[in-house]
Amino acid sequence: MSRELKIGLSALFLAVAGFLVIRFFGGYPGARGNPSRAEVVLARTLRSWAIPRSARDAHNPYKSSPELLQESARHFADHCASCHGNDGSGATAMGRNFFPRVPDMRADATQRLSDGELYYTIHNGLRWSGMPAWGDPDNDTDSWKLVLFIRHLPRLTGDEVGDMERFNPRSIAEQQEEKEEEEFLNGPPVPADPPTHSETSK
Amino acid sequence: MKKYGLLLLISLCLGVLGYAHGDLVHVLGTVVEVKNHSVSVKTADGSIKVVAFDGETRFLKGTSPATAKDLTVGARVVIHAHQNGDKFHAAEIKIGAASGAQHV
Repeated sequence: MSRELKIGLSALFLAVAGFLVIRFFGGYPGARGNPSRAEVVLARTLRSWAIPRSARDAHNPYKSSPELLQESARHFADHCASCHGNDGSGATAMGRNFFPRVPDMRADATQRLSDGELYYTIHNGLRWSGMPAWGDPDNDTDSWKLVLFIRHLPRLTGDEVGDMERFNPRSIAEQQEEKEEEEFLNGPPVPADPPTHSETSK
Repeated sequence: MKKYGLLLLISLCLGVLGYAHGDLVHVLGTVVEVKNHSVSVKTADGSIKVVAFDGETRFLKGTSPATAKDLTVGARVVIHAHQNGDKFHAAEIKIGAASGAQHV
């Protein structure tokens, strides 16, 4: 097949695909809305098939302990929480706007995955989902520790979330904002009666 | 230049600061009233913002966990809240280390 013919057929394919998308979705569907049930089932099935059995059956070399949970929680706060949220709910500005939406990892759909599947997903990422591949290709102990933390998510306490917040990435503007809030909070108390004194008159 | 200075001054005087912190707005001010499930806060511009809270709201005093009982009239607070129209619902209430004049 000549190069010109290949290019022509490719252009024809793209034109037909574009027409079908516009015809059935009323335009480019973008990332709004939720995947259909069929898309969800198809994606989960393909993901399951894509994970080799040996990886799916792999066991976590680490046992859960308060020290490892704290370490992995802080790692999660630094690397994962921007999308997943410290509590794993996915209720973040990023998580709510991905397509597909970032899942609530406390829920059954995530918790019923095997340790090996969770590790494989963290380590290799998920194509077409926004989930990157993490960790050194040869030595990825941190991802196994994150699996421990994901198992702990349904029982995460408010105090643990508070500790994690100290490790969330912050922009310079957010750091400045926090500094201003701290300075405000550390100002002197304001007389309660009469309550007309403005607190910013420091 | 003067115009920008004035704009900056007005910005600094605003009591409710809609920082881009997820979907949360930040309410800074002093407590003027505490009810069972809401706190009224006087902000820098003199307006009163009523912010609801519930069992999901996280209270902090300094770096220590706190409760709604730690809210006192006159205390400085920084509230990170969800805003729905003119209603605020607190996700987190930080209470100044120096407490206010009276308990409610």
